[in-house]
Amino acid sequence: MTPQTSAFCSIVPPHLLEHLARSSNPAVAAAARRTLVADAAARTFRVLPLPGAAPTLAPGDAGKPHRTVHDCARGTDLPGTKVRGEGEEAVADATVNRAYAGLGATFDLFLNAYGHDSIDGSGLPLIASVHYDENYGNAFWNGEQMVFGDGDDEIFLDFTLPVDVIGHELAHGFTQYTANLEYFSQSGALNESVSDVFGSLVKQYALDQSAEQADWLIGEGLFHPNVEGTALRSMKAPGTAYDDDVLGKDPQPGHMDDYVRTGRDNGGVHINSGIPNHAFYLVATELGGKAWERAGQIWYDVMTGGTLAPETRFDEFAAATVAATRARYGEGEEIQAVLKAWTAVGVPTD
Amino acid sequence: MRIRVRRTGGFAGIERSAEVAVTDPELEALAATVLADGDGDVRGVPDGFSYEITVDGRTVRCCDPRLTDAQRTLVTRVLKEGA
Repeated sequence: MTPQTSAFCSIVPPHLLEHLARSSNPAVAAAARRTLVADAAARTFRVLPLPGAAPTLAPGDAGKPHRTVHDCARGTDLPGTKVRGEGEEAVADATVNRAYAGLGATFDLFLNAYGHDSIDGSGLPLIASVHYDENYGNAFWNGEQMVFGDGDDEIFLDFTLPVDVIGHELAHGFTQYTANLEYFSQSGALNESVSDVFGSLVKQYALDQSAEQADWLIGEGLFHPNVEGTALRSMKAPGTAYDDDVLGKDPQPGHMDDYVRTGRDNGGVHINSGIPNHAFYLVATELGGKAWERAGQIWYDVMTGGTLAPETRFDEFAAATVAATRARYGEGEEIQAVLKAWTAVGVPTD
Repeated sequence: MRIRVRRTGGFAGIERSAEVAVTDPELEALAATVLADGDGDVRGVPDGFSYEITVDGRTVRCCDPRLTDAQRTLVTRVLKEGA
């Protein structure tokens, strides 16, 4: 920073406010709590775009991916320059090739496990843009395509590195075209959780792992080596993915007793997703074998069954999994596993 | 002029905020533009960042990816210089 530009005054990272709010010094704690309450008032609502009409594909194209990867060249114009299309040879840029492969891995899971052709079920072309913006530590789904940053060189590396992150983003598209869960509060946490579930299943399917072999982590390998943490989220043990001096501790709960009420992050969509995430993990590990087969099938049936409202809450989603399990598997070990899992995370199913 | 930027959401759900006291005319002009333009498109996207930009007590909101050039330049500079 040069003196003639601006003088830095203060920065209070949110996790420090959280720490300070629990301070043994009442004045410090009260001041921090006031700031946190002010933060909570600043909530923003997000409304997802309505599902668009699927493009018509030529006969013979069904059941095949239609991938295109673009390069934003560190700019923000989307989609950027096309650098690799379907069936084209790998390029020199590993980020481009990872995105291309990740789109394929996600397509493969949905088609081979569920007979779902692309994320809309009708062969939607899959589009990704990489190298978005400079030092951009994020990836997102913009309603039409996936967008990946290169990381901020401080906390995050290249967002195309973990295949479950690619699967997570595309699964936002799957949700948009199916249950269209509103991206706020409990329905938003379910939207996030469904992306973590299918993101993790993309990784497990690609590695041909059983539920016991899977790491159940989201974003493993994404953190910069300086960060004390293995991943962003753990479906197996929510709240344990990272514990870092700068970032603070993974805030995810794994039980309704610890549900976080907040206005930030669209009502804590990336926090409370830990609860349904853990329920899925419990179903998958109770049943054993390949998680995408029965546990994944149940979640898929719920998302595509047409019974979920956009503002679905946890208990309504849980009840829908019970109904979907009975419809597909009857009264057997599957229904017992589902009921047991939701009970374990404190979500009623009736 | 004091400029505060709070960035929430994102894939990680990790929040960042920074505040700077500004004397640079270029940054002041940028902040004035952002204030005059008002709230951006506050309809965000899944995993996108949301931003609150507060300039001398007045706050405007915007979301990725639909930031104006002025909003993007300002949030980038404040988050970097206030870090």
